[in-house]
Amino acid sequence: MKSKNDNRKNNKMFKDNETIDYLIIGNSAAGLAAAESIRELDKSGEIMILTGENYLNYSKPMITYFLSGTVNLDMIHFKDDKFYKDNRLDVRLNTRVKSIDTDKMFLITDDGNRYEFRKLLIASGGRPIVPKIKAIGTKSSGFIDGTNYDKTEGIFTLTNLEDAVRVKNYIEKNGIKNISILGGGLIGLKAAEAFLEKGIDVNIIELADRILAATFDREASGIIEKKLKSTGSNIYMNNTIEEIHIGSGKITGYKLKDGEKMECRLLVIAVGVNPDTGFISSGSLDMARGIIVDDHMRTSAKNIYAAGDVVEGPDMISGGKRNIAIWPLAVRQGTAAGLNMAGGNKKYGGGFFMNSVELLGIPSISMGITNVAEEKEGFEVLKYLNTNQDMYRKVIIKNNRIIGVILVNNIERAGIYSGLIRNEIDISSVKENISREDFGIIHLPADYKKHLVVGEGIEV
Amino acid sequence: MRERHGDCKMKKIYIQEEYCIGCRLCEIYCQVKHSKSKKIIKAFKEEMIDILPRVLVEEIGYNSFAIQCRHCSDAPCVEACISGAMQKNKNTGVVTCDEDKCVGCWSCIMVCPYGVIRRNLSGKKIASKCDLCIDEEIPVCVQNCPNEALKFMDKDAKEKNPVGTKTGRKNEK
Repeated sequence: MKSKNDNRKNNKMFKDNETIDYLIIGNSAAGLAAAESIRELDKSGEIMILTGENYLNYSKPMITYFLSGTVNLDMIHFKDDKFYKDNRLDVRLNTRVKSIDTDKMFLITDDGNRYEFRKLLIASGGRPIVPKIKAIGTKSSGFIDGTNYDKTEGIFTLTNLEDAVRVKNYIEKNGIKNISILGGGLIGLKAAEAFLEKGIDVNIIELADRILAATFDREASGIIEKKLKSTGSNIYMNNTIEEIHIGSGKITGYKLKDGEKMECRLLVIAVGVNPDTGFISSGSLDMARGIIVDDHMRTSAKNIYAAGDVVEGPDMISGGKRNIAIWPLAVRQGTAAGLNMAGGNKKYGGGFFMNSVELLGIPSISMGITNVAEEKEGFEVLKYLNTNQDMYRKVIIKNNRIIGVILVNNIERAGIYSGLIRNEIDISSVKENISREDFGIIHLPADYKKHLVVGEGIEV
Repeated sequence: MRERHGDCKMKKIYIQEEYCIGCRLCEIYCQVKHSKSKKIIKAFKEEMIDILPRVLVEEIGYNSFAIQCRHCSDAPCVEACISGAMQKNKNTGVVTCDEDKCVGCWSCIMVCPYGVIRRNLSGKKIASKCDLCIDEEIPVCVQNCPNEALKFMDKDAKEKNPVGTKTGRKNEK
């Protein structure tokens, strides 16, 4: 592990420190679900939560709702003070982890403190990706990247509340009426949704040939693109920012790959998020893109668990491991991790990707594998498209099981599909009904229908 | 007001689909219950468009049943809720959506395997679902079902009196 010096110094400094029963890195969905579950089984053990952030609690997916003004800072929490008090959680704000000694079971934070633990949960979430872009007019490097982008006024990422507060203040202070967003994926479009609601025009720059390329198919992307364009927004597809223009420390514009020069006073970089694993030294834990965990959310190191956006966990659809950074799975993983840390035996059971986003009044939900080459690999695709009403429904089937769904505009009862995916229900007997607009429980295979209707409640 | 009880003794609504005649009185009484006036004529004349029934009758031909939130013990809607609006009460077991906190992200709709949460767009966007009429002795959909197609009981009672039979005889399978 990194620094013996640090350890000695901190050892001395914090001689009296007791070993913490349950140490949790991360104060969001996974970390708090774990804390709550630990407390269910262990009423007395000490639970400490470390977070690099300055807010006691807020919901990360709600930062764009804060931007649009739907919620204010008082309403953005998903757990209240009482939750922390009732579960007796010792939260340390502004405490970023620097390194972990997985063998000796302690970690060191940026401020030099040392924390020994009996059980550790890594639920550190994700960090925004900032691509290296040529910059003209900077005093220093000539490039914008992850280390220096925030030194230029008007360039932001948008993955935590501090980002959102800064963007909001910047808009208000500078009377911004037009925002460029690099990246037409989920974060980019959630940001676009918020800006459009505030009456701010957006330019979306997307590397692929359509927006939401990872979660939508061509038809669904097309419906949203058409709507976006009708509001006066611009989408630049097959494109990216080649150089950023800076004057007096502020962004003034940029040049696109196709040569077009754009004026810009506020740029949001939303090309994606990587698992936040910078504090994990290579070789100490099995990692791919994220930390690899088993079905009990155990990492490769004893007594160390991981959950949420930082992990690569069991993927129900592929059967392999995958980083699926979504809220519901973070909570589920955190719950399983917490119970197991406290001596329980809880299987996570795997998950699959899903997302709900509403853009310009068009709600949409996608789940599982949404974009497949039908002819290949035995996929079957059922579609319902009503172009006049921008209504779209697509169900992807493999081996008589649903593996993916896209719903645009009519999202009612979407969860019935997630139940079918999760429970791997054979839908061959009801295939003709599966993409109906009024699809409901009554159309389901008889056994599964009976299970839902007559049962006590299904295992979910 | 009903007695407070843990999840295992929690009274739930059980569906006897064989007895549902598709009259939709459950939907109507649910709408009235969740109206401002609480009066059937007034509610229908003035508030109807704004009130979604929180129980849903599904029907094909003579086959029908009414379904509402099952108040799951591991409720996926609570897990998926990004705002903390969707909560399962630890004492009563009832899952409710705090409409002040809800931001209408529809994550709950995405995960509910019963498809019994709906979008309420009459004011601020919020999720609309069964609250089990917590201030009533018996939920109004059950109270007003003319054919006992909905029953309100705890798990023990359900096991003694299997759903799907009127007399209590074991359901043939």
